[in-house]
Amino acid sequence: MQTVQMALNAMATRFELLLHGDDAILLRGAGEEALAEIKRLEQQLSFYDPTSEISQVNANASKEPVRVTPRLYSLLRMAADIHYETHGAFDVTVGPLMRCWGFVRGRGTWPDDRTRKEALTKTGMDKVVLDDADRTVAFRQPGMALDLGAIGKGYSIEEAGMFLRECGITSALLHGGTSTMTAIGTPPQNKDGWPIGISDPRDHSRMLTTTSIRDEALSVSAPKGKAFQKNGKIWGHVIDPRKGYPVQGAALSAVAHPSATICDAISTALLAMRRAESKQVQQKFHGMRTLCAYHDTGATDLVSLDFYSTDPTN
Amino acid sequence: MTKHTVSRRAFLMGSAALSGAGLIRAANIKTRSWPGNRNDVQCGIIGYGPQGREITATLTRVPGAQVAAICDTYGPMLRRAQRDAPEATRHEDYREILDNPDIQAVIVATPTHLHREIALNALQAGKHVYCEAPIASSIEDAKAIARAARDATGQIFQVGQTYRSNPQHRSVFQFMRSGAIGKPAMARGQWHAKESWRRASPNADRVRELNWRLDPAVTTGLIGEAALLQMDVAYWVLGELPTSVHGFGQIMAWDDGREVPDTIQAIFEFPSGLHMIFDATLASSFDDAYEAYYGSDSTIVFRDRGKAWMFKEVDSLMLGWEVYARTDRFYKETGIALLANATQLDAQNVDPTEDDPNIETPLWYALQEFMDNHAFGPYPPAADWERGLEAAAIAITANQAIMERTQMDIDPASYTLD
Repeated sequence: MQTVQMALNAMATRFELLLHGDDAILLRGAGEEALAEIKRLEQQLSFYDPTSEISQVNANASKEPVRVTPRLYSLLRMAADIHYETHGAFDVTVGPLMRCWGFVRGRGTWPDDRTRKEALTKTGMDKVVLDDADRTVAFRQPGMALDLGAIGKGYSIEEAGMFLRECGITSALLHGGTSTMTAIGTPPQNKDGWPIGISDPRDHSRMLTTTSIRDEALSVSAPKGKAFQKNGKIWGHVIDPRKGYPVQGAALSAVAHPSATICDAISTALLAMRRAESKQVQQKFHGMRTLCAYHDTGATDLVSLDFYSTDPTN
Repeated sequence: MTKHTVSRRAFLMGSAALSGAGLIRAANIKTRSWPGNRNDVQCGIIGYGPQGREITATLTRVPGAQVAAICDTYGPMLRRAQRDAPEATRHEDYREILDNPDIQAVIVATPTHLHREIALNALQAGKHVYCEAPIASSIEDAKAIARAARDATGQIFQVGQTYRSNPQHRSVFQFMRSGAIGKPAMARGQWHAKESWRRASPNADRVRELNWRLDPAVTTGLIGEAALLQMDVAYWVLGELPTSVHGFGQIMAWDDGREVPDTIQAIFEFPSGLHMIFDATLASSFDDAYEAYYGSDSTIVFRDRGKAWMFKEVDSLMLGWEVYARTDRFYKETGIALLANATQLDAQNVDPTEDDPNIETPLWYALQEFMDNHAFGPYPPAADWERGLEAAAIAITANQAIMERTQMDIDPASYTLD
């Protein structure tokens, strides 16, 4: 049994890949193809690269429908479906709102009502017209933009995982920035799956819990450092795209599901949801396990929805 | 150069294809109107490896093109094809694509040594052909393809030497030809990556086929399969073809039984006396890929698929536009960014010191030229069979010099057809 470890810097994060198998030369060849696919998708999906396909859409879709490649079209269609299933909590058009709350470059500021309402008119996946027949994308409002930051990493990991399987890989773990990962088979020494620890958002030296994944993906989200104080309350950088205000949803969310794309998107959406709504959403995705940590009661309240069930099909 | 007839209509409407003249397609304001209509050129992609996929993805965004059929001999690649281009028919035998009278153009993106048979049959079948570069892995094959392309009057034959169609390169080409670097001194280029060049598959026969780049019998090595597009820019901007090459090759990183070097150096000698050194490696990714042209007044560096900067000598003349130009720092050097269309961007109220927001990849411009040619031509593409033959002849000879660690003259007869 041989082991190959590889890494790639892309999408402003570090991807790492661990492969087990009989032939290190073939393992590396497969890993290179998978990582090259991530690099290619970065170029296609980058919000910041003016030659990326997404930038072309953003530059032109408020003027006229823009035709996109079939795979990007299916990704956007999926983003729209998840937007629908999460009642709008997952939204790849949230950029203008994030900017108006000052969370793009700075630590955040309270916008006046007019600015916030103005930003809301440019936000909403329901204002993006997807035409299945022509495979075009159009914006109903000028100033709108698609930013696939909350789904692109999961999508890339899922696609790369598929490449690995096509190359004959039977045991591998691929993660991006330790927050989204996909597992193929099991590691040689552990037939239960790949053990994964989830650290406590309040104290990263502590583990909140552990789980294991096998032929499954996992994504963990938590609001990052950016936050500001107003009226004695801390406002984090998670904006509820439906209302246009920062929300106090889960302080951490973990989602396991066969699709890394869905894991990535739903773990983000859960941060903007309260307990009851999270449950509704989890039930809509067959085979999904979720774990959310809430801090609203002061202590850490862990809510597991099938998270500790080892067989996701149960 | 062979004389070609250029129709007046082509001259008026298809300016993008006039090689060397560097006429940039009227502004970069692209109108993207799509009803994917029946007038779209029906294209067949032959070979669905990484390059075939990239071409397909790009072609789906080029106005006037329709990916109608995809061929690959390996099942998993056809499954990828289904996801990437669901409307396209899928084939394991490329002849089915050639036999389909609705297919007008064929893109050959197979391993290099398989180009000859496919390109010749495609031209024979009356298809327009876009053939990846290098066009062949032997001079005999390259000449056979070039001859067929030359004789197929009325059919387009374009080679995937994409920088020849790229507005950024065309703009810098004009600038260099106007003497911007002063008296040329030397040129240098590099292509650096950290990767094994090994490809994997659960199927052993497929592993052998996939790893053609490491098969000494058919590969053109790093100088052909990695460096060719960059070297093609050198022949273009220098305006001359090398007369000899001295090659070196080593296996420094991937000592896995391969015979093809993972690290190479090649020194090309040009008729003017100028020398160019090119190195390529699979052992280190440091500083990526670039080409530099050193002259008495300045040095011009190309990198990042067509971006270019000029580094001036302190005693060279001040240029009028210099004060408005964007500069970028490279450690202790300051480069003046050479941007295509700066004045047009200004007219569109885009800051001319910013990168063009409508910019596309070199492959997109090359495929767009291929489609424009279909609509308004045929006229000789910027990367026509002559450019393809020249680049292939140099790559093949250089690879031979590298494999034998020796100096070789490049036979001028290899650049032309009888």
